[in-house]
Amino acid sequence: MLVRIPPALRSYTDGQDEVVLETTDVAAMLRALEASFPGIRDRVVDEAGRRRPYVNVFVNEELIRASLPESKLNPGDVVHILPSVAGG
Amino acid sequence: MSSTSSPASPVVDMARSIKKGSVVVAVGTKKGGFLFHSPDRKKWSVAGPFMEGGAVYHMILDPRDGRTVYASAPMGSEPWGPAIYRGRAGEEPKATQAFPKFKEGSDLSVSRIWHIEPGPSEAPDTIYAGAEPAALFRSDDRGDTWHDLGSLNYHPTRKEWQPGGGGLCLHSVLVDPRNARHLIVGISAVGAFETRDGGRSWTMENRGVRAEFLPNKYPEWGQCVHKLAWDASGDGSLFQQNHCGTYHRGPDGGEWTEVTKGLPSDFGFPIAVHPRQKHTAFVAPLVGAGNRVFPKGQMAVWKTTNRGKAWRRSTKGLPGPGAYLGVLREGMAVDEADPIGVYAGTNTGQLFASRDEGESWKMISDFLPPIFSVTTGIAQ
Repeated sequence: MLVRIPPALRSYTDGQDEVVLETTDVAAMLRALEASFPGIRDRVVDEAGRRRPYVNVFVNEELIRASLPESKLNPGDVVHILPSVAGG
Repeated sequence: MSSTSSPASPVVDMARSIKKGSVVVAVGTKKGGFLFHSPDRKKWSVAGPFMEGGAVYHMILDPRDGRTVYASAPMGSEPWGPAIYRGRAGEEPKATQAFPKFKEGSDLSVSRIWHIEPGPSEAPDTIYAGAEPAALFRSDDRGDTWHDLGSLNYHPTRKEWQPGGGGLCLHSVLVDPRNARHLIVGISAVGAFETRDGGRSWTMENRGVRAEFLPNKYPEWGQCVHKLAWDASGDGSLFQQNHCGTYHRGPDGGEWTEVTKGLPSDFGFPIAVHPRQKHTAFVAPLVGAGNRVFPKGQMAVWKTTNRGKAWRRSTKGLPGPGAYLGVLREGMAVDEADPIGVYAGTNTGQLFASRDEGESWKMISDFLPPIFSVTTGIAQ
């Protein structure tokens, strides 16, 4: 599974724009990211575990609309973390 | 260094290098932070924008070293959550290693930081942060780790707290220079809380303060405090600008005394106090909650020198008539020069300065983004 890191969060990944992980759901993916890059999880979800407003997570090209932590992942998936348009 | 050519702005250049001894005016705006600086307060230079494009809710020059700038702004851009930025004055600040967060399981999450307050002089690495939803946090390592002041943040009344128009925010943090364990904070629209044991226990300090929007006009709590400030008397006396009036509280605590009489309205946001002259404060009353602009289209700053018994209006050099604008709660500050300077930043992007203790004003800068906060310091 490949996680694409948006430019705004590459300060946490020493500039890496993608990270390879093996996890089965988004909660585990965020924990794994946090273990390698402390602080990055807090930028995607808040301290109550809720997806931050205007942050979108796509698996392959599909936006996760269900509860973020419980969303399943499969080998070969590409996860995109992106800010939403949030404009008019 | 390059010259500016604004037709209205007296800022002379964009120098990032800040001379030691200069007065620094830190301005947080909707789109970045700026440091205005001047050795004589006549000609100003500006450094910035810093955190460009981000909403800088508050920005300070730490008075304990005169070099470190702290600021509150979203991480990178809006969606990524709050951040505390730290850096040397004139250089681009960087996000600290962590930001204030509620404890796990609270079901609360910090959406933004409204106010950064330096800790006591004897603890130069300590800073406080006032958050939305209302909470107080303390860092003892210049913002890299944060402590959640739980006895306030999970106060038994919390489930009944209601937000003001700007949100449920903790915006005022006062640390007693005589006793670092004595703090007073202000929360909209909950009121003032006071601790004398470093935050282990808190009392509500709202007696005498009106809440016109509640059935009980003088409740124990629920008042919409807009800003708190120490009186320079140094004995623990306080000023308060509220949604419903202006107030003063004496040195022994107890009831607040309403001192609105003589002002054009009971509604305003900022209150700034003279750093040396006791009982002296500046306010900027607006028409009211339903029309948050200066009365009659004339920007005016009002000054008292006798803890609100009388007020004097100052408009010389301020815009109007025809100026329909306001000053937000963090938008006014004083410096410590002699005579003191007074600064007011508007929500339409003008920064005004007075070099004569509020008697007359000049515009330092126009065409800034809407100004959220104005603070001052002396560069070291």
